Amino acid sequence: MKHFALTIIGRDRPGIVAEATDILYRLGCNIADSSCTILGGQFAMILIISHPEMTSGDDFGSSFAPLEQSGLSVFLRTLQPGGEKHPHMEGELCMISVYGSDKPGIVYRVTKELGERGVNITDLNTKLVGSEKRPVYVMMLEAVLPEGMNVKDAEAAVKGLQDELQVDISVRSIMNVEL
Amino acid sequence: MAVRDILLYPDPLLKTVCTPIPAVDAEADALIQDLVDTMIAAGHSVGVAAPQIGITRRAVVVDVSKTKLGRDNNHGLLTMVNPEILESEGHHIVREGCMSVPDYTGNVSRAEDIVVQFLDRAGNEKIIRASGFEAVAIQHELDHLDGFLFLDRVSSLKTDIFQRKKR
Repeated sequence: MKHFALTIIGRDRPGIVAEATDILYRLGCNIADSSCTILGGQFAMILIISHPEMTSGDDFGSSFAPLEQSGLSVFLRTLQPGGEKHPHMEGELCMISVYGSDKPGIVYRVTKELGERGVNITDLNTKLVGSEKRPVYVMMLEAVLPEGMNVKDAEAAVKGLQDELQVDISVRSIMNVEL
Repeated sequence: MAVRDILLYPDPLLKTVCTPIPAVDAEADALIQDLVDTMIAAGHSVGVAAPQIGITRRAVVVDVSKTKLGRDNNHGLLTMVNPEILESEGHHIVREGCMSVPDYTGNVSRAEDIVVQFLDRAGNEKIIRASGFEAVAIQHELDHLDGFLFLDRVSSLKTDIFQRKKR
């Protein structure tokens, strides 16, 4: 079955999820993985969907027009075969917190160090908090470490940025247990 | 004396409140042996509850002694009949998965220290204090006896640090 990634974003208000999923339900689409959240004043939906007959984005025609008319932006991406499958990732799971006075480059510098070492980020949230005068930036991320790398190594990789960026960084392992 | 299949959700037996075992007799002993065999056969497993193998009786086995997380703090192989948590203290967030709910993990809040009362395999009344990973495993397995899956306990989606405050 062909899979698609559907992104819907717009000014937050009650009813967005219901309107979007009403359309999908009527089309006969399946929703597999999805993640929806408020970012700033926007509500963002990202969904992996499939349909037994539809094979290209054109097949959806103007199905999503009502959403666009209500002020939402809709984007549909057609996935390559297998693109809906979650890759199996071995390796230690860790959680990294980075926070400090807001300044440009926090996300870039931290993720660059991780990316260069083959660390796979699986989840990342940032938020600007604090007062307008003294904004504080908070970044939380979850990552899978490559084989042979442990949490201590990951910590060493990013700890050096504390001085450079004047932020606090902590790395800890996630107690991930299969019972 | 057999390795049993682990039931997968949505099997209704996993959502059943299990009944107490009236006596630790030959039948109970056989159930415990099946639980132990199944746990060992499942390789990565640190515990199995009776309903996971289709028996809705109040029995679980737990053994974290072979794991990195529980190696230094455990009671070895625990076989628990009619277990009950008497006290619990502290809490921490654990990312749990379950053999009966493959491919999904969630953040669950569990007590750090617990005191558990149960009958052992010989029918003796036991009270132990468990902490760390062993305490997590016991709480997870005992939940099965009441028809709770970790999905019923998920306490946060991803990082719950971004609690939105009302302005």
